[in-house]
Amino acid sequence: MQWGRVWTVDNWERLLVGDLFNTGDMGGLLLTLIIGILSIICSTALGGVLGLMRASSNRLLTIAAMLYVQSFRNVPLLILVFWAYFLPPMFGLDISKFLSVLIALTLFTAAYITEIVFGGIKSIPAGHLDAARALGLGRVQTLAWIVLPQAFFNMIPALTGRYVVSMKNTSLAFLIGLADLTEIGKQIGSRLMTAPVEVYLTLLMIYFVVNRGVSLAMRTIEKRGRFNRLFLRV
Amino acid sequence: MTFDWSILLEEPGQFIIQGLWITLKLSGWSLLFAFLLGLFFGVIRWLGLWVTEPICWFYVEFARNTPPVVQILFWYFSASVLLPQWMFLSLRDIGYEFGAAIVALSTYHGAFIAEVVRAGLNSVHRGQFEAARAIGLSLPQSLNYVVLPQAVRIALPPLVNEATSLVKNTSLALAIGVTELTYQYKYIDNFYFRGVEALTAVTAIYLVLCLTLAGIGKILNWQLSRHLSRDRREGRQVFASE
Repeated sequence: MQWGRVWTVDNWERLLVGDLFNTGDMGGLLLTLIIGILSIICSTALGGVLGLMRASSNRLLTIAAMLYVQSFRNVPLLILVFWAYFLPPMFGLDISKFLSVLIALTLFTAAYITEIVFGGIKSIPAGHLDAARALGLGRVQTLAWIVLPQAFFNMIPALTGRYVVSMKNTSLAFLIGLADLTEIGKQIGSRLMTAPVEVYLTLLMIYFVVNRGVSLAMRTIEKRGRFNRLFLRV
Repeated sequence: MTFDWSILLEEPGQFIIQGLWITLKLSGWSLLFAFLLGLFFGVIRWLGLWVTEPICWFYVEFARNTPPVVQILFWYFSASVLLPQWMFLSLRDIGYEFGAAIVALSTYHGAFIAEVVRAGLNSVHRGQFEAARAIGLSLPQSLNYVVLPQAVRIALPPLVNEATSLVKNTSLALAIGVTELTYQYKYIDNFYFRGVEALTAVTAIYLVLCLTLAGIGKILNWQLSRHLSRDRREGRQVFASE
C-alpha cells in the first residue's frame, strides 16, 4: 500500500479544487459540487413544472409530460450529454462543456423528478380535495395550500434518492473532458502508475462522503416539525 | 449541414450492430450477477443477523453512494494489483475490460437490487415467514414457497426500473474501452465524421431496448397479479393486515 504517495498535499489540493490556485481553472470536487447542485436546482424546477402538467386535467399537457418522461428516461445520460454537446453548434450556438453537461443532467433528472412530483400529488387522499372545495378554495388555492405542502413531505425520500444519483452522475463530465473530481483522480492515477487501488479508493471515499452528506441534509428537512422550525420559524 | 443516412446501411452500420451485440452481452451477464448478488444480500439483510449486518450495510451503502463510472475505473485499473499475476496476464490476453465492466455494473446494481428485495420481503407480513417455519419448512423452503412469491409481486416494478437503469449504465463501459454501442458511436464520429447519424441510430436502439424491457415488466406484472382483485392489483389496501 502506498497511501503516502497518493495522499500528498498537492494531490489533495488538486482533488478538492483542481488547478484553481495554479492556473485559475476550477476543477476537482468544487466543480463536481457546482455541477451537481446547479443541476439539482434546475431539474427540481423543471421536474416540478412537468409534474404539475402530468397531474393536470388537460389531456394535451398530460401527454406532453408523459412523452418527455418516456423519451428522456429511456436513454443513457451519456447519450444525452453527447446530444447536448452536438446539437447547439448545429444551430449556431456556442456551448461550453460545462453547460452541455449541466443541460443533459438537468433534462435527464427532470424526467425522474416529474414522476416523483406526480406520485406525490397523487398520494394526497381525494377527501382533502373535496374538503378544500367545500371550504370554497379555488383550484390554484387548493394546489398551493392543501396538496403541495403535504405532497412535499411525501416526495422527500424519493427526491433524496434522485439527488444522490444526480450527484453521482456528475462524474460523466470527465468523459467529455471536464476536469471534475473523476478526471483529476484519473490524472493522478496515471501519473503514479503503480497505485490504482489507493487512488480510486480515495475517489470513491470522497464521493461516498459527499453523497452521505446529501442524504443527511435531506433527512434534516424530512420531518415536518423540523422543517417548520428551520425554515418557517413556527 | 447535410446528413447522409445511407452510411448506416454501410460499414458504420455493421459497427453499430457489433456494438449492440456487445451491449446485449454486457447487460445480460451484469443483470444475471446483479440479481444474484441483490437476492443474496437482500435476503441476508432481511434476516437481520447481527454478524453479517455491518458487512452488508457497508457493501450496500458504499456501492449505492459512489458513481458507477468510478467503480468501473476502479475495477479496471486495480485488476493488475488485486489479481494474482498469472490470472491477470491470462485475462489481459482476452481483454479484461469486459470482465471489469461486468464486475462493476453487477456490484453497483446488486446493491440497489438488494434494497429492493429487502423492501419487498419486508412488505410481506412477518407472520407468514414465522408460520412457514412453524409448520416445519426449512429456511430456503419457506423463502422459496411462501415469502418470495409474495415479495416478487411488490418488488417487480422497481426491479424492472433497475434493469433498465443497468442497460443504460452499460454505456459507461466506454470509459475503459469496451466496444459497446456508445463506443461505436464515438468511433464512427472520429473516423467517418458522421456523428449525428450514428448518435441518432444509437439513441433509437437504446430507446427500443429500454422500452422493450419496460414492456416485458408490464406483462410480467400483469401475469403475476391477474388472480388478484382489481383493488389489490392496483395496490389499494382492502383489509387490515394486522
